[in-house]
Amino acid sequence: MSVLLDVQDLQTRFKVRQGYVYAVNGVSFRLEEGETLAVVGESGCGKSVTMLSLVRLLPPAASIESGQVLLKGADLLQLDQRQLREVRGGQIGMIFQDPMTSLNPFINIGAQMAEPLIYHRGMGKKQALARSAELLEMVGIPDGETRLREYPHQFSGGMRQRVMIAMAMACEPAVLIADEPTTALDVTIQAQIVELVKALRDRSGVAVVWITHDLSVVAGIADRVIVMYAGYVVEEASVDALFEDPRHPYTVGLLGALPSLDGDAHRLTTIGGSPPDLADQPTFCPFHPRCPYAIERCRTENPALEAVADATARGHRTACWVDIRELQSPVVSGS
Amino acid sequence: MFDRDNPPLVRVEKLTKHFSVRIGAYGETRATVHALDDISFTVQRGETLGLVGESGCGKSTAGLTLLQLHQPTAGKVFFQETEVTGLSDTELRPLRQKMQIIFQDPYSTLSPRMTIGNAIGEPLWLHELIAKNRVQERIAELLDAVGLNPAFAFRYPHEFSGGQRQRICIARALACEPEFIVCDEPISALDVSIQAQIINLLQDLQETYHLTYLFIAHDLAVVRHISDRVAVMYLGRVVEMAPKSRLFSNPLHPYTHALLQAVPVPNPRQERQRQHTVIHGNVPSAINPPSGCRFHPRCPLAFEPCDHIVPEWREVESDHWVACHAV
Amino acid sequence: MTTQELSATSGIELAQASRSNLWQDALARLAANRLAVIGIIPIVLLFFVALFGPTLTPYDFLAQDFTARLDSPSREHWLGTDELGRDVFSRILYGARTAVSVGLVSTAISLVVGLIMGSLAGYLGGRVDILVVWLTDVTRSMPALLLAIVINLTLKVPLEAWMEQLYLETKNTFFRQTMWVDLVLVFGALALIQWPGYARLIRGQILSIRSRNYVLAARALGMPTSRILTRYVIPNAMGPLIVAVSAGLGGAMVLESAFSFLGVGVQLPIPSWGKMISDGLRMWQTHPHLLAGPAVMMAVITVSFAWLGDGLNDALNPRQWK
Repeated sequence: MSVLLDVQDLQTRFKVRQGYVYAVNGVSFRLEEGETLAVVGESGCGKSVTMLSLVRLLPPAASIESGQVLLKGADLLQLDQRQLREVRGGQIGMIFQDPMTSLNPFINIGAQMAEPLIYHRGMGKKQALARSAELLEMVGIPDGETRLREYPHQFSGGMRQRVMIAMAMACEPAVLIADEPTTALDVTIQAQIVELVKALRDRSGVAVVWITHDLSVVAGIADRVIVMYAGYVVEEASVDALFEDPRHPYTVGLLGALPSLDGDAHRLTTIGGSPPDLADQPTFCPFHPRCPYAIERCRTENPALEAVADATARGHRTACWVDIRELQSPVVSGS
Repeated sequence: MFDRDNPPLVRVEKLTKHFSVRIGAYGETRATVHALDDISFTVQRGETLGLVGESGCGKSTAGLTLLQLHQPTAGKVFFQETEVTGLSDTELRPLRQKMQIIFQDPYSTLSPRMTIGNAIGEPLWLHELIAKNRVQERIAELLDAVGLNPAFAFRYPHEFSGGQRQRICIARALACEPEFIVCDEPISALDVSIQAQIINLLQDLQETYHLTYLFIAHDLAVVRHISDRVAVMYLGRVVEMAPKSRLFSNPLHPYTHALLQAVPVPNPRQERQRQHTVIHGNVPSAINPPSGCRFHPRCPLAFEPCDHIVPEWREVESDHWVACHAV
Repeated sequence: MTTQELSATSGIELAQASRSNLWQDALARLAANRLAVIGIIPIVLLFFVALFGPTLTPYDFLAQDFTARLDSPSREHWLGTDELGRDVFSRILYGARTAVSVGLVSTAISLVVGLIMGSLAGYLGGRVDILVVWLTDVTRSMPALLLAIVINLTLKVPLEAWMEQLYLETKNTFFRQTMWVDLVLVFGALALIQWPGYARLIRGQILSIRSRNYVLAARALGMPTSRILTRYVIPNAMGPLIVAVSAGLGGAMVLESAFSFLGVGVQLPIPSWGKMISDGLRMWQTHPHLLAGPAVMMAVITVSFAWLGDGLNDALNPRQWK
């Protein structure tokens, strides 16, 4: 498989009243063709900002300080606005968390769906509408032609997310970025959407970046996972390796915090404290104040993301000074 | 359902709550939202009853109506065998002390203009639980009990994170020295690592203070983790209720079954092998709920009586209740 | 958060922001707002002059000096004199009194009326709400100046006649001072124009605060309604109200001047800036100082209140807080 998207050393920061908040700090990752990459982390860890940086859809206070975003070899950060618009919705399709506000309530679904087709694909209006109807059927909304004339409020939350997916897939993108697409949805609807995206991926071969805070969803959809904390990638691994052999204390903490449907009622392990906002690039591991395994070095040096020496699977990398497998029990456990 | 030797702490009988709304562009049409219809259950002293369902199923309304924060349309609620339905605000006050609630959104549950010490101290003097000169001491104790620094008493809510605010809300509920707490989605607004902190805290407090919980949530894994028994709601009705091990291993109602199927398993190998049968369609509107069994339009087992006869709420095995014609 | 702070903190005892209270925060935010601070200075001066005006003025506002009519600004008369040889500077200082008293009294009246009507509408809802909203709509649909003119034209004569009659009956000289009729009419008109704004604001605040979770939480604690009102609803409604009152004070002063300018305001001999502007306007080509003094004062005060109101709005609006 060849590399489709190659992100190198991406840095994004926000201007705030007193200085900056460092949201994304030197994030690098690769996305291969047809692959599904999950980006996991808690709110404020920089996962959404990273993805918005890729297509430069950032709020005015944010600025990309450095990095490269190579999509099929071309650096997206060097494109002008016109070229960038070609990429957004053309090469890269995006869906967002809130399907309730992602659609314009005053325009019918057909007009909203046809627009990218007319703009990116140069279709005529009739042709675009016909294609939109096909797309609706593809995402499991039957009777597409009638529903194109309806308005967003006539669709339920799950249906709207299907429409968003249809729009994102309209121009046959190479990459689909899904930013917490099921967070606002009920569990049965979430299952429908997950199954839909899997089916579309298998059929069209689109590579998917699935951003979520929910590790359970990740298990079912991802090939590879990157875990983010305080704007850093702290662990990267295949989905099996991440769940079976996690190496970063934060990943271990997240997995331990998950109550499971078939497990016994063991006590949940917790991570004390809450994630920081970085006002500076730290000279220490940003996780160490919450880390039960922290050693002296964690306070003075920020570990880089490096390959796990005795990894069971290839491509397993983590950013930690401690080999947590050597330590059987943590020093202190959270709260 | 009623055991004379071991009376339940809370008993809910055919509790119903309808809201009247105006719909249409000019509000010209009156309509009734069937938020809660005929729900009955008991909560035993010391246990945690999980109440689970998707958004709009009426689970939060159930909690609020049970506590008389919504006026019930019909039905009765008993607390320690005393009927609380129909009592006036003044008559309710001593009972309110015993029955507390923790809300989903810790950001809007604390008044931004009140220090957290004052917020926690309020129930103390309101219910005259402690001598005036010991109030500060008690506030410090309560903050400590929920894992916060007692020195925080003089700070304002905006200085705290979501998880910390939820701890403050819990301390405030504890200040009443309650016996029963309705936890209305107490962790849904929080991050994963913080969720686990709050769950552990709630479990510790239950043990320390012998609390009884009604734990309302949409997350089945969380409900399984914390509950002793679980009740499943769909569109204003309870469709199944059983001890959690039985409900999760042997769900009888097709909706419970579908719900369990939809929950992702945090294990990639199991997920790949798992049969993914996805339930179709959406939850219908509570304004015009389907006749008969409310689940019948989406139910794979639906047959002749389902669309016109409301299934009876019956105990099919000991302590396993279900409302379904097909069972 | 600085790196040092971050490395120093650990565990759950990590408060996210500084240790300060909300009002102090708001005050600090206000102090950081340059325009608001600049605006406060003339407003403080205005209130100071209104209080101590008579002891500060070099001349009595009525003292006429026919030897010095329509003098340009000079060392004796800093801002010159008017047609009757009265010192313009002294009259402006007295005019501050009119402006402040009109602003305070009319705002107080409309605030009280607005509070009562707004709370009734917000709390009782239903028909009372519909009636109050309808009343505010009707009042607000009438142009303010037109309303003032109508009130003045229809009520002034009967009121003065009534006062005259009272004088004849009681022989109390108080009733000979028709100035009071002017004041009552001006206050009344201003209050009538301004109460709907306060009523709508308070109604909206009550409706939105009533649906907040902390009110529900207070009910769940078993708190009586009166206590919920005083501890939760009112303190949380204060911010927007303070902003509205600040803007309302400035607005009332401007309106009063507009009334005076149109001849339906406070009549002589009490100096009013509006009246002075309207008098000065007749001779602005030959004696511009008559217009310039009060007009500049008026402008400064209007802008000051606008800046202060803006600053308060930013400082007290919790949505902008992090």
